[in-house]
Amino acid sequence: MDHQASEQRFRALHQDTFADLLRFVQRRVPDDEAEDVVSTVYLTAWRRLGDLPEDARPWLFAVARRVMANQTRGWLRRKALDVRLTSTEKPQGHDESLGAAARLDLQRAWRTLSAADREALALVGFDGLTAEQAATVLGCRRSTFAMRLSRARQRLQAALEPADTRPTLQEQS
Amino acid sequence: MNDIKFLDPALGHEPTPEQWARSRAFVERTMAERRVPARRGRMLTVGAVAAAAGVVAAVVVPAVLPGAGEKAIASWTAMPSARTGEQVMPQAATCGAGDTGGPPGKVSPSDVILAEQRGDMTLLILRKNNGALVECLSVDKDRFASMGLTDGVTPPPAAAPDSVTLETRSSAGDGDNLWSNIVGLAGPEVTAVEIRLDRGKTFQASVRNGWWGAWWPGPEGGDGPDTFTVVVHTARGTTELRPSQLP
Repeated sequence: MDHQASEQRFRALHQDTFADLLRFVQRRVPDDEAEDVVSTVYLTAWRRLGDLPEDARPWLFAVARRVMANQTRGWLRRKALDVRLTSTEKPQGHDESLGAAARLDLQRAWRTLSAADREALALVGFDGLTAEQAATVLGCRRSTFAMRLSRARQRLQAALEPADTRPTLQEQS
Repeated sequence: MNDIKFLDPALGHEPTPEQWARSRAFVERTMAERRVPARRGRMLTVGAVAAAAGVVAAVVVPAVLPGAGEKAIASWTAMPSARTGEQVMPQAATCGAGDTGGPPGKVSPSDVILAEQRGDMTLLILRKNNGALVECLSVDKDRFASMGLTDGVTPPPAAAPDSVTLETRSSAGDGDNLWSNIVGLAGPEVTAVEIRLDRGKTFQASVRNGWWGAWWPGPEGGDGPDTFTVVVHTARGTTELRPSQLP
């Protein structure tokens, strides 16, 4: 690919992915850090343009995840890159069929999950990735991600169950 | 899954015209950098590590040393030569005199935690007067880049006895003169660490005093996805780990 073609491809890549990539990063780091992370991702993408797969979005997300994970490294680094929770009680565009009480329950349940569970759910539910694409982001096999997602869903569902309908330890014994 | 969408902190977010403009300008600048021949003496840090604020200040400090990167890369060797504190005192003194990791100060050979030589580049991990550990890379006697590893207050957690941690990985350089750096903690049973790049090259890292480290020509240190394997040797065998698997 000559230089002009490379530049055209890179501009098209940026046009097609910038909004999604910025949102992916904004879900995980404060807004004032997001643009720097995104710039680093595109710098890497330009350098590795020849290696980019046709479906570049998961590849870019994987790079972004690494950049963000590096920013949290150190003695107090987190084991998983956590997904932020929306800070507004009634964000724009939510499903109106979901009542206020149900939304609060879902927020509470979300907070009980591990960062790894939230990440699996967010890759599909927020970032809109397929299991195959999410596996690329996490650098694991599709089957591994599918299992991780399934367990995260089960734990979210369990956390949503009313406490009084769940068997207590005494009842189980 | 649809129900969780309202929890999305970026739900409905669209980049502002200003964000589009800044990012497009960055893309154009990035491409323009590649259009012109690599400028000597300019360092560009890519994917460098910035650790938890207040705990570890990990900052690559570019130095304007014309040709230093090219010189280091041209002389790189897959097998490092171990160096004692006495042998690297000129570089350690320069490293200690910098302000990375703490105020400048005099250092002694016993402050050198790890030192290796590959061609013209000296890599060393040094304890500064305030107890902070810093990594310095030098070409000849000149400090080339430096990075804070610990703040001297928070004691580093020990690695598992038979394994290693990854504390920092990054790439720096310009154009075709990209180079990578990696540093971590090593457990007491670790006898050697190798790095095997996916593009085929394998080389030895240095291990000493509970730390391991290496540098090499290439972009892998700053790459997002795993593009190399860390091979950890102990008396009982060998373990191969991808960077994302390292604690």
